[in-house]
Amino acid sequence: MVSSFCWSCLTRLPSAPRAILPPTLTAQRVAAFHTSTALFSSPVKKKKGDVVPAKFRQAKSAKMKKKKPVERTRPPAVGERKALKKRIVLSNPNALEIEGMQDLSADNMVDARLRGSILGLPVPMLDQLRAVQAFKPKQGWSIFRRPGTVVRRETLELGRLIDGISGEGENKGRVVRKIVTGVRGSGKTVHLLQAMSMAFTKNWVVITVPEAQDLVIANTAYAPLSDENPNVYVQNDATAALLSRTVTANQNVLSSLSVSQAHPALKSAVKPGMTLEALAKLGIQDPAAAWNVFQALWTELTASSPAPGFEGTFKPRPPVLVTLDNLAHWMKESKYNSIDCKPIHAHDLVFVQHFLSLLKPNADKPTLPNGGLILYSTSASNSPTIYGVTVALQQLAARQAGVKPSSPEYPQADPFLNADNRVLAAFDSSKSTAPKEGSLELQTLGGLTREEAQGFMEYFARSGLLRENVTDAWVGEKWSLAGGGVIGELEKLGRRLRVVA
Amino acid sequence: MVFILGVNFPERNIVKKSLESFFGIGNLTSTRLLARFHIHPTCKVGDLGNKQVLDITAALSDMKIENDLRRQYLDNIKRLKETGTYRGRRHALGLPVRGQRTRSQIKNAVKLNRMERRL
Repeated sequence: MVSSFCWSCLTRLPSAPRAILPPTLTAQRVAAFHTSTALFSSPVKKKKGDVVPAKFRQAKSAKMKKKKPVERTRPPAVGERKALKKRIVLSNPNALEIEGMQDLSADNMVDARLRGSILGLPVPMLDQLRAVQAFKPKQGWSIFRRPGTVVRRETLELGRLIDGISGEGENKGRVVRKIVTGVRGSGKTVHLLQAMSMAFTKNWVVITVPEAQDLVIANTAYAPLSDENPNVYVQNDATAALLSRTVTANQNVLSSLSVSQAHPALKSAVKPGMTLEALAKLGIQDPAAAWNVFQALWTELTASSPAPGFEGTFKPRPPVLVTLDNLAHWMKESKYNSIDCKPIHAHDLVFVQHFLSLLKPNADKPTLPNGGLILYSTSASNSPTIYGVTVALQQLAARQAGVKPSSPEYPQADPFLNADNRVLAAFDSSKSTAPKEGSLELQTLGGLTREEAQGFMEYFARSGLLRENVTDAWVGEKWSLAGGGVIGELEKLGRRLRVVA
Repeated sequence: MVFILGVNFPERNIVKKSLESFFGIGNLTSTRLLARFHIHPTCKVGDLGNKQVLDITAALSDMKIENDLRRQYLDNIKRLKETGTYRGRRHALGLPVRGQRTRSQIKNAVKLNRMERRL
């Protein structure tokens, strides 16, 4: 048995811990046979199970304690939470400034030597890009000192295209239509942003639909277009918002152009000599007239010569860039209901109709006589599964590869899967007779090449976000981890904070 | 504040929800009403045009809702009682009407089933 004495310090043996014990316990110790538990239990603590037995015929059920009312703070003001959700931060003062980073300009837009490097977006242009909602809240702009984008192969092609359309060469006045697809995180939305920034440098007019979904989820007002065609619907508030985006972003261009056509739909609101900016503002002030104003603005932008009586102040119109994100949402029935409570097909909304009609080369009249680029992208993260779209894109890819629609290799819709014919028709663009009109193309964005990935990772390192030696081998590893250089995945790898061991 | 069928609704209220506050209008009826006047489901009462408010009020006043509907319910119960049916008798006794057992669990019947039923 182990003695309770400490043999090394016998001399200093305390008289007894018992002396510390309260006197009440000593009596207990003597009386009880087993002493230890009684000794160690604290005399102050009350026994837990010490419940007074209920009296005769008294309720025995456990009483529920009333919860104290939780102090609630006031909910945030109306619109505050949404503003926080939609907030876009474009600068991080803690990130390092990168020396020698060039801004995007008309000169370096087509410079192939810059491939793989990062071009900054010019600061004065940021307001314009914000106005057209080119930045999305979930994108990682907020980790860098200032926003910039990678120059990849597709970017250079885009730069050459935009340069060609606005230049004086053979491509002047061409109309290019593209649908941008690609896996998730492959940079489709940023590709649109690059197109917008290039168009702004070239003083084009930029018209954007930043989120196609917003028009079909029944969150904005709708009404029948007119009594003549009650099955087509107009969305006045959404159109007014479109006009407001267009005016804010293209103020310089629109204020230098003036009205050159007659607009009988707007009656006396249009005065001769009015600038296009003032014309568009008519629609912002009065959303009820927004659709007519938008149509008038579109006629003005696509005018190639003045109407009789307006010859005085006509200036040639600039090319137009039309971009749209998340196209697939426009290919199904919308959440709006018709008068007999049936869902309205998205193609019956006149706004959607207008933008989808741009995909088709017009037979008699060119869509954009002054040239332009129509760039619609799909989304891979928020995309409804629509069989018609899948088939239509396959058919588009086949046509682009040179497969004739009459050949047996041409992908056909499975008759049992009920592909929507309107969707198939929307993508089905025949070759136009007009020389400048391009037919619809499909552009699939993949991963970056190794060199581009290296430039991109160096950008992280030089911003102070990545503390690694960006070597070929390291980049190769990350390139593979990112599914072959998918830029969104590369960004995740680059921004993850690591401490060098 | 907007008057719809004599009731004053705050402008921030959603139209669909406001319509459903009437006795006799549920999800289906309100959806149909909104579709009939081209009002989107997230529309606020304040965003309605004057004509739309008048249209809705006119449509509502043609429908059997609120007290008319309550009266119809009570009349139906009364008719059952007066024709001496079993169902009418059960209503009057405050017992379950549709063949449920009465040995236990008839609290709701006791509470609700009566000639002058609360609605």
